[in-house]
Amino acid sequence: MTMHVDSPNDTKSILEQLRQSRMAAAAGHSQAAASVAMMNFIVFVDDPAHRQWVLERAARVSDKHPCRLIVLDSTSRTSGVDVTTSTREGGGAVVVNERIDIGVRETGHATIISLTQELSVPDIPTVLWWSGGRLLKSRTFSGLAQSSTTVLIDCSGTGCGDEAIRELGEFLTRFPSVALQDLAFMRLAPWQNTIAQFFDDPALREDLFSISSLEIESGSDAEALYLAGWLGSRLSWTIAKRDAFRDRAGLEIPFRKVSKGDQRRVRSVVLRAGTSTYRAALSSDDPGVVELAVEGPRARPLQYVPLQNIENTSLIERAIIENARDPIFETSLLTVRDLLT
Amino acid sequence: MAIDVESRPAGSTAPNPLRAGLDSGRIADPCNVVFFGASGDLTKRMLIPAMYNLRLGDVLPTNFGIVGFSRSAKSSESFRHEMKEAIDTFSHSGEAREPLWSDFANRVTYVSGSFDDTEAFRSLKKQLDANDEQLGTAGNRLYYLSTPPGVFAKIVHQLAAAGLGPREQERGWSRIIIEKPFGTDLDSARALQTEVNRVFDEKQVYRIDHYLGKEPVQDIMALRFANVMFEPIWNRLYVDSVQITAAETVGVEGRGGYYEQAGALKDMIQNHVVNLLALVAMEPPISPNADHIRDEKFKVLSALRPLREDDVPRLTARGQYGPGLIEGKPVPGYREEASVDPLSTTETYACVKLFIDNWRWAGVPFYLRSGKRLAHKHSEIAVRFRGIPHRIFGEAGDQIENNTLVLKIQPDEGVSIRFNAKIPGQKMHIRGVTMDFNYGTGFGVVSAPAYERLIADAMRGDATLFTRWDAVERAWETVVPILSRWADSPIVDFPNYLAGSQGPQNADALLVGDGREWRRI
Repeated sequence: MTMHVDSPNDTKSILEQLRQSRMAAAAGHSQAAASVAMMNFIVFVDDPAHRQWVLERAARVSDKHPCRLIVLDSTSRTSGVDVTTSTREGGGAVVVNERIDIGVRETGHATIISLTQELSVPDIPTVLWWSGGRLLKSRTFSGLAQSSTTVLIDCSGTGCGDEAIRELGEFLTRFPSVALQDLAFMRLAPWQNTIAQFFDDPALREDLFSISSLEIESGSDAEALYLAGWLGSRLSWTIAKRDAFRDRAGLEIPFRKVSKGDQRRVRSVVLRAGTSTYRAALSSDDPGVVELAVEGPRARPLQYVPLQNIENTSLIERAIIENARDPIFETSLLTVRDLLT
Repeated sequence: MAIDVESRPAGSTAPNPLRAGLDSGRIADPCNVVFFGASGDLTKRMLIPAMYNLRLGDVLPTNFGIVGFSRSAKSSESFRHEMKEAIDTFSHSGEAREPLWSDFANRVTYVSGSFDDTEAFRSLKKQLDANDEQLGTAGNRLYYLSTPPGVFAKIVHQLAAAGLGPREQERGWSRIIIEKPFGTDLDSARALQTEVNRVFDEKQVYRIDHYLGKEPVQDIMALRFANVMFEPIWNRLYVDSVQITAAETVGVEGRGGYYEQAGALKDMIQNHVVNLLALVAMEPPISPNADHIRDEKFKVLSALRPLREDDVPRLTARGQYGPGLIEGKPVPGYREEASVDPLSTTETYACVKLFIDNWRWAGVPFYLRSGKRLAHKHSEIAVRFRGIPHRIFGEAGDQIENNTLVLKIQPDEGVSIRFNAKIPGQKMHIRGVTMDFNYGTGFGVVSAPAYERLIADAMRGDATLFTRWDAVERAWETVVPILSRWADSPIVDFPNYLAGSQGPQNADALLVGDGREWRRI
């Protein structure tokens, strides 16, 4: 059930419409209906091309995790405020989901921030999914981040460049109590596991400390940079120059990123260590499988391992559930920032 | 010379720095898994599909091998073909897909031989050594006994004779998973334990009870020890009684020969249901460490009041199903099932009232029941609280119910709480209402099948969900007087319940005298 309020400033009417909508939604059920919110889920979107993608995933998350979803739509698609409730049956109970869509294209940052605070359920976590083009330079972003427990962004494929990486580094300093998560980094978990698998074999582990070059193919820069940053931070590499690390012995490790393939997807990673080459690449037979090859004096038979395809909605859920700072992400981010500086 | 069988494989001793912070705790150690009884139904239906799904889920390490061992003569190629068919038919992830299947199949081999034949076990050793060399399995071995229980001791003996026992091992670890039942009575369980102990240390033995791998069973501990609100009332001061039910609609499913020797008491109560009792009644462990949890389970089983044979008629009941209807379809009685004696006196339903003589539970009855061909498939633990001390609400005729917390294990895993509420209106009418939580819809996550969880845990060396010998022995000790008295008491009324019913009437007597009744199945 959806009800409309003309002015986003009229929070009293919005909350009243929410109450009425909730009662109307529950009226059709014989069982008692519960309004359950485990979090405030605030979604900001300003890119019309990206809007549908974001809102679909936000809806999926809110459907599974009862919350108050507040969509701040800075495109021109929403005007005024739409208050929507829907019901979901499970385990013999009826749960009412609540959603408030607010058109904020013409609304100033101070109003957006106070409006969001007034409409949020107090004393529960607030997750901000920021799908806006600017980060710290946006006063709306800074204001919303300040009252959030988790901030979720996606640096991949949305034009986030060097500047965004620098801003994220600064974010860690400015908001030490907020858990920052980047979907672009979270998406790499299966690749991190895959690369780590090479060196689970104790006989190959020492090669980790004599890596002499790194090459990553991916459809967008963020994944390649984050994967290199992760590897560098785990192995205590420092920065030699914009396209090279330096290992603990002071030797330079050239890093080459190749733009190829679908956005948000890594295609291959090649590590050279002495005369050995470690290659992990998507299988041409099945893009859900990675071929692992070790060539050189410690050659191993070609292996196929499944690449867990983690859907974006699942990544968002994971960020929500973990709800804590991720030191591995943060050190990887700072390594990338240093690389780009 | 005995070596530290739990030690890590040879090579670089430094941990892999890339693993820091990754969700890698779930990835098992490199190892070979040997399935004894590889031609059997369990291997096809559950074990091989479980291994394949662990592979798909990226839980298996890259270095693993699978060896099937069974009496049937067949080639590795033919075994692989059978296993692919098994995955295609039984795996919850659907048909095996390339190129992962080929990679998986390349690690599967088969050794045929009798369990009496030491030479066959030597062939097995050669295969495992070759796998260590070619697949990088680092000398680690997990043996899975999915054979009839009668050959467990024989296999263990042959492993040692062929140099496959952990004490003969030069590197890596060895562990053994033993399917239930562990023994057919207390004496045979102790005899089997003696044989197993000759070859394996207790920490290398994983007695599997797939029931314990079910997600809701693990949720019992989370509910009890990750919340503050239940613990203060989880004792004799507030709990009136506890009912634990494991009801099935199925019959013996072609296992008549086995079931004739087992019966409901040995097949379900002695292991599954007693384990549930331990989880619900144990004290908080000091950590999630396997031994800390198993210590607490053992303590509570040790506090079970021993039954005297004279008490058995008063504190237990048994039944056997006759023909009836399940989901509207006629089904035969137990005595008409294949491989069942037409005059069988094996019980297909058993219930027992137990007391735990400790500070927390003194005087609280625990009613345990399990049966086949009952009205619904239904497993739960119902904790019924005491009534209110003084009634101030409710109009005449209003029933103020005892609060009940129900931990639902299957089919709808979750938790429900029954409490009293005012019916809206002018009068103060009170009615019982139910608040439900369902794990599936609550988290939107489908639980992995129990076998996947348990095999992976054994590969990781996590014994938390496996049963330790002392608990097995204690569980057998609990049922021995019942078995003994039942063996001596003639059965005159079998079959005494209809398939598709709530069970035998004599089970009701167990509770009626206490002013209680069974929850409906």
